[in-house]
Amino acid sequence: MKRRLFLASSISSALAACSPIGTALNNNAGFHNLLGAAQGLNHAIIGTHGLAKEYRERDVSAVFPIDSLPTPTDSTYATLVRDDFRNYKLVVDGAVERRSVFPIARLEQMCNTTQITRHDCVEGWSVVAKWSGIRLGSILDLVQPRSDARYAVFHCMDRDDQGMPYYESLDLHQAHHPQAILAMRMNDQPIAPDHGAPVRLKVPTQLGYKSAKWIRRIEVVGSYANLYGGGGGYWEDQGYEWYAGI
Amino acid sequence: MGERIYRYAVATRASHWLWVIAFAALVSSGLQIFNAAPFLDASDLTNPAHRVLEIGSPSDGVGTTTVFGHTFTTTGWLGWGDDGMGGRSGRAFPGWITIPAYQDLADGRRWHLFFAWIALICGLAWLISTAIKGNLRDMILRPSDLPKLWPMQAYYLKLRKDPPAHGIYNPLQKAAYTTVLFVLAPLIVLTGLALSPGIDAIAHPLTWLFGGRQFARLWHFIAMLLLIGFFLIHTFQVLTQGVVNQMNAMITGWYRLGKHDGVGP
Repeated sequence: MKRRLFLASSISSALAACSPIGTALNNNAGFHNLLGAAQGLNHAIIGTHGLAKEYRERDVSAVFPIDSLPTPTDSTYATLVRDDFRNYKLVVDGAVERRSVFPIARLEQMCNTTQITRHDCVEGWSVVAKWSGIRLGSILDLVQPRSDARYAVFHCMDRDDQGMPYYESLDLHQAHHPQAILAMRMNDQPIAPDHGAPVRLKVPTQLGYKSAKWIRRIEVVGSYANLYGGGGGYWEDQGYEWYAGI
Repeated sequence: MGERIYRYAVATRASHWLWVIAFAALVSSGLQIFNAAPFLDASDLTNPAHRVLEIGSPSDGVGTTTVFGHTFTTTGWLGWGDDGMGGRSGRAFPGWITIPAYQDLADGRRWHLFFAWIALICGLAWLISTAIKGNLRDMILRPSDLPKLWPMQAYYLKLRKDPPAHGIYNPLQKAAYTTVLFVLAPLIVLTGLALSPGIDAIAHPLTWLFGGRQFARLWHFIAMLLLIGFFLIHTFQVLTQGVVNQMNAMITGWYRLGKHDGVGP
């Protein structure tokens, strides 16, 4: 009986120790990096293939949560909103043969795709919306990435409370995915300011944080290591995976 | 004193203890991940009308758990409790049961996706090695075992003096192992895969099979609860059925046969 009690209490202690031990290991840089190795394995083995499921009109969710950094409130964005985004221009530059500036009227003419897809947030919730816009690949084809180009980095207008701007990145393979789009319309309406007007990314094969809102510039680069925190995205810099497939 | 037999191969013992570690890491990091969206819906999309479970904190200092629309106050346990940093806050599962203890979805995912690989590789390696050696069949419940299930339970309940004749594993053990190996393990692996990075895009039917994205989360959670149930019963049995002999066997491989233990299948 004593043995049983001893073992039962040992097992209870071991269980109670899981969280403190795990937390201590989590704060060990070497172990933390080891855990991160799974991401590389997943990226190498699973990769970015296939298409996100397309839904029907009647599947569109009544409410699409606004769960990003706050909608920009600076004077530049306020002016854009006031003028109905007529003066918005998207800059596409970096490691490209033809640096380009796309006025909004040109972007509207280029709209060539519509999708009804699910948005899966890393937190765990899922909603469906209809998006219309331009295939990211067709923009990249116009600017012609140079041979040393590997990533498209999306610079955004929203900032966190420390003033850090939001950004995201896709490799050029992911950026050429047929469902990776620069969305300008949501549920048959121009995208509302809170949902990233006038131009946001929608990448339905990746977690929601990849679908950056309020894009102002696309920079094509060979590496994102020297940009911002070096993780390739705002949330990646906070420890979230760069490879965020669904 | 009974005869000593070599019961557990190195592969079984190593994978057993590695699995203990992986299971603890997966449950604690899984609860951490759950905390970021503390509800489970029986539907593809997030849909409060199909909500099965929700843990929340309607106001400071109060935690509630809602199951099929019935709300219970669970302050201190679920919804409101240990924040993992010495204080208390609104949190579905408390800090003492999550990895990391404090709320950190990014690191919870790191742990979960890492130990999912460990558990999967370890499980497959054990399954293959055990199947090759032919020991797997000792663990599988057969139709001939069914009439022995109740007599075995009656023996455990001390309603019967002797257990029914059986092999290395008794009929209830076989039932438990068969359920874990062929129902719960596939369920938790496949629902986990449906939620894993990059899988849904290449395997929609897998997500569809479980009723959609959110439903897969629900099945994954249910499979976890059932595996915890197995763990509790398993631990209780080890503690009550000759704990030193059992622990010794799973560490050294050598098991001392009791008077009721069978040796053949």
